[in-house]
Amino acid sequence: MSTHSTRNMSTLIVEEEIQLTLVELCQACNAPAEYVSAWVYEGVLTPSGQTPEDWRFSGESLRRAQQARWLARDMEVNAQGVGIVLDLLDEIAALQSRLQRAGLR
Amino acid sequence: MKFQDYYAILGVPRSATQDEIKRAYRKLARKHHPDVSKDADAEARFKELGEAYAVLKDPEKRAAYDQVGQNWKAGQDFQPPPGWDAGFEFRGAGADDGLDASDFFEALFGRRARAEQHYRGPDRSHAHRGQDHHAKVLIDLEDAYHGAQRSISLRMPALDARGQLVLQSRTLDITIPKGIRAGQHLRLAGQGEPGIGGGPAGDLFLEIGFNPHPHYHVEGRDVFANLPLAPWEAALGCSLNLPTPEGPVQVTVPERSAAGRQLRLRGKGIPGKPAGDFYFVLAIVLPPALTDADKAAYRAFANAFHFDPRATPAPSRKVDPR
Repeated sequence: MSTHSTRNMSTLIVEEEIQLTLVELCQACNAPAEYVSAWVYEGVLTPSGQTPEDWRFSGESLRRAQQARWLARDMEVNAQGVGIVLDLLDEIAALQSRLQRAGLR
Repeated sequence: MKFQDYYAILGVPRSATQDEIKRAYRKLARKHHPDVSKDADAEARFKELGEAYAVLKDPEKRAAYDQVGQNWKAGQDFQPPPGWDAGFEFRGAGADDGLDASDFFEALFGRRARAEQHYRGPDRSHAHRGQDHHAKVLIDLEDAYHGAQRSISLRMPALDARGQLVLQSRTLDITIPKGIRAGQHLRLAGQGEPGIGGGPAGDLFLEIGFNPHPHYHVEGRDVFANLPLAPWEAALGCSLNLPTPEGPVQVTVPERSAAGRQLRLRGKGIPGKPAGDFYFVLAIVLPPALTDADKAAYRAFANAFHFDPRATPAPSRKVDPR
């Protein structure tokens, strides 16, 4: 096995320092542009900008798009279903963290 | 490298139809999805399922896996026999999520570059950007408070000068920025898959997670710690010197504090704009009545109060609405 080392990588926090274009988001979550567009039209993702060329996705969109991609590809959920599932997952996460806090005592 | 029994992972026989494989995967994926399951190993299990499904759902990969896999059992040391994949062609091979697949998967199917060159044919002239890659990195909560330098090792298949597949190990020295939170991603431009035909390399995304901490529980920017108190400390109030990730602080517990009360140290959570808060969550611990003297003390306590905890409805526990 060969090894090489890269020094002094500059890193950016995606969620705070980066906005993604449609092309970048598609590459980062490995989903075709038609999927991502359908999620935007269903309100799953909410980029700024009017047209797909102008869309800018917040870094927070990356995780959401990855979840959506899994639902769409492996579970064959359509765009409307993706929106419902992600909203429910958000709600479960919020409830679970409240439980975890309450259970800390 | 250990042999992975993808059929056993999905719980299906080797004779399973594509529909049975799909059904088995979906059922298990719903159960083990890390956003749903709270099992500690949900994420590892989910990843394993995804990898098994990526192979078995694809008839080409499944056939190749069946051919190479018939003589191995799960967990055995495994080396792919030379030329095992002759006659197979993997379209869009590789971990097709760009996710970090096992070495076993990479050895069998992680030859995306070669497969793609082959598939696209020699007349393909325009350059192609490499895929983005993803990996997860666990850091300590303290690293988020202070920032840190970390060396991380990543392995990925690459082609050597003779066009042979080799597993290449890379060490990246990265800066963990102060204020990073669990679930956030770092982007390392150009550190993903190399480009094809002179195209640019993809990016590497690192998802940050925190190692479990014995004392602290993290929620977004806010950090929580349990603060056990003796009944008299909670009733009478007290002043305590307590550790936080930023160092010790002097904390005043007000008198008549109830269990579940949260003492907030504003801005002492994970740093940032805005910084998170740090909370001590009060818990009241009763001393055990072990000796006769202990029991006598409890009896004296009871006589002093004439207290019936069931006389009034128990006060509801306060949880901050969020």
